[in-house]
Amino acid sequence: MKFVIKSISKNSGRLGQLRIKESQELATPLLMQTTKGGSIPYLTADAFEMVSNEQQLLQLTLSTMDQMAESLALWTRPLSDYVGLPGHNTVLMIRDPCETTPAGGNDRDVMPLFTRRGKESLTATQYMEMVAKFAPDVYQGLCDADTNPESTKKRVQKSVDRTERFMNECYALHGKEQRLANSTLLAPIVGGYNTFARTQSIKHAKEQPAGSYGGYILEGFHTNGLAATTLSAAQLLPIVEHCLQQLEDDKPRLMPGAFTPLLTLELIRRGVDVFDTSYAYCAAANYKALTFSYTKDAVQHAAFLDLTDDEIKEQFTPLLSGCTCLACSKHTRAYIHHLYKTHELLGPILLMIHNLHHYLGFFAAIRSSIAADQLPELIEHVRLQNTDAEIDYRIEANAKVISKAAMGKGFIAAAV
Amino acid sequence: MSSSKIPPLTYKVVAECSVSKARAGLMTLRHSEVRTPVFMPVGTQGTLKGILPDQLIELDCQILLGNTYHLGLRPGIETLQKAGGLHNFMGWPRAILTDSGGFQMVSLLQLAEIDERGVNFRSPFDQSECMLTPEHSMQIQNAIGADIMMQLDDVVKTTTTGPRVEEAMERTIRWVDRCISAHARNDDQSLFPIVQGGLDIPLRERCVFALMERQVRGFAVGGLSGGESKHDFWRMVDVCTDHLPKEKPRYLMGVGFAADLVVCVALGIDMFDCVFPTRTARFGCALVDGGQLNLKQQKYKNDMTPIDVDCGCNTCKRYTRSYLHHIATNENVSCSLLSIHNVAFQLRLMNSMREAIQRDEFPQFVRDFMDRHFVGEPIPTWIREALAAVNIELPEDAVQPTEEQEKRTEKSR
Repeated sequence: MKFVIKSISKNSGRLGQLRIKESQELATPLLMQTTKGGSIPYLTADAFEMVSNEQQLLQLTLSTMDQMAESLALWTRPLSDYVGLPGHNTVLMIRDPCETTPAGGNDRDVMPLFTRRGKESLTATQYMEMVAKFAPDVYQGLCDADTNPESTKKRVQKSVDRTERFMNECYALHGKEQRLANSTLLAPIVGGYNTFARTQSIKHAKEQPAGSYGGYILEGFHTNGLAATTLSAAQLLPIVEHCLQQLEDDKPRLMPGAFTPLLTLELIRRGVDVFDTSYAYCAAANYKALTFSYTKDAVQHAAFLDLTDDEIKEQFTPLLSGCTCLACSKHTRAYIHHLYKTHELLGPILLMIHNLHHYLGFFAAIRSSIAADQLPELIEHVRLQNTDAEIDYRIEANAKVISKAAMGKGFIAAAV
Repeated sequence: MSSSKIPPLTYKVVAECSVSKARAGLMTLRHSEVRTPVFMPVGTQGTLKGILPDQLIELDCQILLGNTYHLGLRPGIETLQKAGGLHNFMGWPRAILTDSGGFQMVSLLQLAEIDERGVNFRSPFDQSECMLTPEHSMQIQNAIGADIMMQLDDVVKTTTTGPRVEEAMERTIRWVDRCISAHARNDDQSLFPIVQGGLDIPLRERCVFALMERQVRGFAVGGLSGGESKHDFWRMVDVCTDHLPKEKPRYLMGVGFAADLVVCVALGIDMFDCVFPTRTARFGCALVDGGQLNLKQQKYKNDMTPIDVDCGCNTCKRYTRSYLHHIATNENVSCSLLSIHNVAFQLRLMNSMREAIQRDEFPQFVRDFMDRHFVGEPIPTWIREALAAVNIELPEDAVQPTEEQEKRTEKSR
């Protein structure tokens, strides 16, 4: 993996190019495609191609794919081919950013892996053996990321110490695994909201010989799921800034999680390079279409359209006026509301198509605004949406959706 | 809607099998041309489980089925009218067929009672008493605006015997006249009557002759595929197609298993529908020539081949059985992937039958199909008998069916 910074501006983020293997370059700030069980949530490969034909970085997660390890050990083609998305690049991470990772299970020398079947425990050696079976283009080092804004000092310190022990083994094994010869390791930076702990974590990574790892993954700010959408900027940004100041410029910084569009922009302004689509997923899973504006105009906008709202029952208009996605060009609010009412799988499929289209557009707009040195203006626009107050981008669990569709398996179990 | 003089349904036989009653036809509807024999996937509530309309078009699906009972409840007749019909509402540009709603009520609602006025039932949402009359069914179906609509029929369990069967058949005939009178959009939508008469050949014949006196553009054969013996099943289909007019399409309701489709095409049926391909997909099953693969089985865990190497669907082009094994019933997307394959399988089967009929090689197609379908097991007697009735002889089985196997295939419906 190669990372080249194209431009850095102190106050308006940085533009870069990420080249993984021989494939074409991915422009940063980059939106990774979050997956579940290897697939873009709800979307078949051809449905995703109706959203984008561009090359993507797929964010695969062990917590949704661990059961495939044995099969993948027998797979001789690239990992992306196995999940039906050939030609794309892959990053293997541990936790699914879309769902809350349960706390606990941090017994000595093992990392808890919460899967569909329950909790598994992995030692660093077992983890590296598993990663080798996947043979991803990029993967994260093993870390204890079980920290959030409320974590005690003791828990934070433990997460840093445990991560160091895990990583010592990962660094040692990385060079030995034949199937990881072409894979790039990402060094995890943990330490909750404690500047001292973060510095210690960074120091450990930087002590490694040159070439030990190809980028950083900033973890331990939240425990995934909807909680990431509620993080306080005032709390998060100083600690992220503290970390970024200590990291060298020529390595990409990934930060997984469903941050709000506004918080994402603030993180980009400070120099985070790679994000994921879990926010777009969380909105779709709760029947929300993203409607915020990222193009300067004079009209007021809302963060979302709530498809469970009975008021749209007979609105035969697109989710978002002017949107060119498949869902907006061929379907109406009324229809998607009907799909919600009848718990039909096509509902979240159409919402995912719209939300991914919208979020990819958002990231293209971010890159353009950095190139034009206008990121602060974009942030102001996203913050206010031409209203008088900051827009609330948090996503709350939609009780109506959860009780009626029972989420996950509910869509499948729903008979006739 | 078009107010042109062209009827909303024209049907032309384009080729006939010189041996059996099979035929290939072209049905032209307001929204699509439909090449028959055709399988119509079921999109109960205005969507085919997890498949985008664009994906259905890519599969060359020409006609979908919608359920009047479900659509009448949600989104409801008013919303459908405001949307300009179901085609607009769901963004499906091609043809749609709707059932009458009567069957769902009898099968889904335990409290349904039928009398001369219609079907009396309790709403599953507010428990209020409702009456679905032939007139009301027409009103909902006119609002839905499907290219083809079904009369409300008096449905009895296929295993019912005695005077109730005759009563239901007679009432179905009385109701078709009420449907014809109430049908408000005869220039846009075609109403099909439904042949009833249980498992009784004379009753079936009487029903066919009575319905043929009505001004209709096609016919449905109903009251089958509900657990009756296959020996009765094929005879009922056979007697109906013996008498129904050749120049109009015939629709056999609720039939969709591959072997049944092949037999019934040989018997002269043009249109089919069934929830089976999409329902079985939700349980992780994929249709193949030999039956179906339950991808959840351990033997597929490391199987790096597609469901069917000869299938050109997007699922087979990109995904292995191994990957599908891992995500089936776990990830929502598996439901879409398997539904796409299963619909592709059904459509391909119909297409290959049509081509065989056009080449006048249908009997050989049937023999080849049965050979692939019943691998290592004997061909059921009813299939041999049904095909023999239309002059298609199958080669002797290598193994004689045991009594147990015969029972099992009988039950496999």
